[in-house]
Amino acid sequence: MPFVPDFFGQALNGLAYGVLLFLLSVGLTLIFGMLDVINLAHGSFYMLGAYAGLALIAATGNFWLALVAAPLAVGAIGALIERVCLRPLYGRSPLDQVLLTFGFIYLFEDLVKWTWGGRIRSIPPPDLFSGSVRVFGSTIPSYRLFVIVFGLVMAVALWLVIERTRLGAVIRAGVFDAEMTAGLGIDIHRVFTGVFAFGAALAGLSGVIAGPIQSAYPAMGVTILIPALIVVVVGGLGSLKGSLAGSLIIGQAETFGKAWLPEAAMLIIYVVMALVVLLRPQGLFGRALR
Amino acid sequence: MPRAVGAVLVLAALAAFPWLFGAYPVRLLQEILIWGIFAMSLDLLMGYAGMVSFGHSAFFGVGGYVAALALKEQPGVLAALVYPAAAAALAAAVIGFFSIRVSGVYFIMLTLAFSQMFYAYTFQVAWLGAEDGIIGVPRPAVLGLSLGDATAFHVWVVLLFALAALALWRVVQSPFGHVLRGIHENEARMEAVGYPVGRYKLIAFVVAGTVAGVAGALYAQFNGQIPPDAFFWTTSGEALLMVIIGGTGTLGGAVLGAAAFILLQSLVSTYTERWMLILGATFILFVLFAPGGVVGALRSATRTAGVAGRRA
Amino acid sequence: MGELTRRTFLAGTTAAAASVAGGPWVRPGHAQTGPVKIGVLLPYSGVYTVLGEHITQAMELVFARENWTVAGRKIELIKEDDESKPPVGVRKGQKLIESDRVDILTGPVHSGVLAGIRDIVHNSKTILIVSNAGADQISRERCSAWIFRTSFSNWQPCQPMGGWVAKNVTKEVFQIAPNYQAGKDMMAAFRETFVPAGGKVVGEDYPKFGETDYAPYLTKIRQSGAKAVFAFFSGSDAVNFVKQYDQFGLKQTVKLTGAGFLTEPDVLPAQGKAALGVLTGHFYTPLLDNPVNQRFVKEFREKYRAMPDGFACQGYDTAEVIVRALKAVNGNTQDKTKLRQAIARVEFDSPRGRFRFDPKTQNIIQPFIYVREVREVGGELNNVPIDKIPEVKDPGTGCTLPV
Repeated sequence: MPFVPDFFGQALNGLAYGVLLFLLSVGLTLIFGMLDVINLAHGSFYMLGAYAGLALIAATGNFWLALVAAPLAVGAIGALIERVCLRPLYGRSPLDQVLLTFGFIYLFEDLVKWTWGGRIRSIPPPDLFSGSVRVFGSTIPSYRLFVIVFGLVMAVALWLVIERTRLGAVIRAGVFDAEMTAGLGIDIHRVFTGVFAFGAALAGLSGVIAGPIQSAYPAMGVTILIPALIVVVVGGLGSLKGSLAGSLIIGQAETFGKAWLPEAAMLIIYVVMALVVLLRPQGLFGRALR
Repeated sequence: MPRAVGAVLVLAALAAFPWLFGAYPVRLLQEILIWGIFAMSLDLLMGYAGMVSFGHSAFFGVGGYVAALALKEQPGVLAALVYPAAAAALAAAVIGFFSIRVSGVYFIMLTLAFSQMFYAYTFQVAWLGAEDGIIGVPRPAVLGLSLGDATAFHVWVVLLFALAALALWRVVQSPFGHVLRGIHENEARMEAVGYPVGRYKLIAFVVAGTVAGVAGALYAQFNGQIPPDAFFWTTSGEALLMVIIGGTGTLGGAVLGAAAFILLQSLVSTYTERWMLILGATFILFVLFAPGGVVGALRSATRTAGVAGRRA
Repeated sequence: MGELTRRTFLAGTTAAAASVAGGPWVRPGHAQTGPVKIGVLLPYSGVYTVLGEHITQAMELVFARENWTVAGRKIELIKEDDESKPPVGVRKGQKLIESDRVDILTGPVHSGVLAGIRDIVHNSKTILIVSNAGADQISRERCSAWIFRTSFSNWQPCQPMGGWVAKNVTKEVFQIAPNYQAGKDMMAAFRETFVPAGGKVVGEDYPKFGETDYAPYLTKIRQSGAKAVFAFFSGSDAVNFVKQYDQFGLKQTVKLTGAGFLTEPDVLPAQGKAALGVLTGHFYTPLLDNPVNQRFVKEFREKYRAMPDGFACQGYDTAEVIVRALKAVNGNTQDKTKLRQAIARVEFDSPRGRFRFDPKTQNIIQPFIYVREVREVGGELNNVPIDKIPEVKDPGTGCTLPV
């Protein structure tokens, strides 16, 4: 009976997609929670990560090196942007941040096109994970299994950092009330820069991770912006747990929607988000405020 | 009264434009006026009521599609203006009914979701022309006068722009407008004082949606077609940028923002392939050095000039 | 101030205002000795950037061969970026027609832009040579005496493939294409010859345009028991689909076939080895064995360091049509009807074979639709022609042009 492997196979597909969404959106939710900034350039960091990864792989031929170094480069760009452009805007209308980060979308897209051209590129999967495997009668590319494991490990690591370390305590305090945290003698500005850079680096990381599955082109950042925002809102702004739950839910909803309700594939994530926002406005794991 | 005189002079200049310039500048001006109407309607929400919508394209698109469908059947003002505005108002009432329950980012994302649902639907259904949208939309005839004539159509656009601007200006100057600003500043206080905040927000949402529907209807007549892109989030995003560039909370600013955006996009790209870079850098520098948008910059420029004048 | 002086003064200021505010918009009409202005309305940003670039590069190659002078007149290209957005394309198209007053307009890539400018072109009697957009209706109910097409109609690369796949690959096929009308039209064109040849469509799906994760569809394809897939995707969709198809291990058991865009050189390097063995139908491949093509490939590679593709071939043919028609009318672009008739009569050896327009639709008659297989040739992936179907002409249903 094909139904069972079909269901299981699709659930596995949804899990891989959801984990990818998690990596894509977790930086966005951290930045929002801590800095109260809707970073529309988040997709651009994702794109920069993919291109930095491409350049590093072209130079060294080593996927794993790119996976480590590309996010660091993107994080450095993020730190610079926060320090120079975003810091003067704290306390001003959030719309100024919208315009600023939107400006960076245009800027980075054109810079990348200038440097690498408009041609579609792609990161080949590392040799270790280039085939496919059968799991309980369903076939899945081994790279997707790697993505699932990697993403879940990242989720646990992030959780440990935020819940179990002193730095995490500062970040949590900052998310809760930045002014009060500054009152405790913590250099909140440095923490802000660090969180923004870290969020950017996570976006860059997801750009490298997604490379072997998807393709890289200058406009790629804009196309993932909306799904990333949706995951963040469904999960609850600023919540790590929420962004994981939101990603996994959207991943399954999209996958099963495509499989069973193909005519509605374009609608599903919007319907899911609208329902969550209406029934539970603070998102699944968000604090009830604002 | 000088304000009214100034307004009349500006309108006269806009209407006289075709006699001075070629077809393309006139077309750019019409596009600016149409987007200006759209941006002003969004500014009523953002700048006055404090409701930042990322789904305003829903009403632009509904207005455009309804006008396109209706104009194919009959050429009159009903089809060109009344039906699209009514349909947009209805859509705004339904979407607003749900959306005003939430605020801030959630409001942004919920309005986005609704407009994207329209996009997904129109993109896929054959009876609305799928990805091409409705093409071959005829220009209307008003009071027996065909607007197929380029000059007549220009006057029609200027006239509707003036009406929309006047209507929105009256709204923001009215007691209703003051309540909206009160809600923007402190919603809880307005509620405590006893204003039915939800109802005010809904009415503002419907008014803004209706005017956006008029802009969409004009846009369909202007281009002779309406594509599903009219609903896409980038349409809302561009209007949002126009309002921010112009300076929120000033209807004139929204129009200036529309003009700045369209001129940048159309002219810079003629001269250089690197227009996105220039546009992006302009936005960034603008935020850093000209807070308050074009209107803010103009105000501080006149203030500086005034101070300098007094000193001299 | 006397009456006369004031009027002169007013006229003077108006002209000054027009030239200041008008900038590049207000151009004086040109005499027949001035350059021939050719509008190029193509995407130079967004997802179709590379298509716009290749079409333009091949056009420039042809004009450079003529030293940018035809029948004694200079050739001037006025390029505008339509961003593949219909509203922007319409605005820029209007600029080229009304403000630059181009003699001939070429482009666009995006069918929505073409749909948007079609009436403007038709009503203003501007000659438009479509250098990419394949919307079938432009050769059917929306055809125009002023519109030619050197590229293809969407129907053309797909219709012959149906019979070919049924005969040579399998009679059980799964169809998949993006959820827009062009995708659905291509799938229908395939069925026109596939079903009569005894073929059976065991399943079909229309993922959203710009999809990034095809896993759910790939799992469905495996379940369907189909022996082959007939797919149309282009750009990033084509890269994602072909890569993921291979990663899911489907390629070994379910043959992947499709419309030529699936493996064109704009996407082939990004697909890499995942594309090996894919069978597609298209009107061109750089490996065609004719002298015109060999010279074209050599020159294009030398100048732009890239393999020419179908898009480049379209640009080549567009420019070649312009050059030959201008020569035929001796550089006279004033008489639009004569120029139009000269274009309709142009015939030459193109890289893809003998080029001519179908007088019924003014759409190109494809000399051949080549069945191509992706193989490694000289260390690079390329589309190797393995079979061909001659004389593929759009049916042109509903098109009646004035004779």
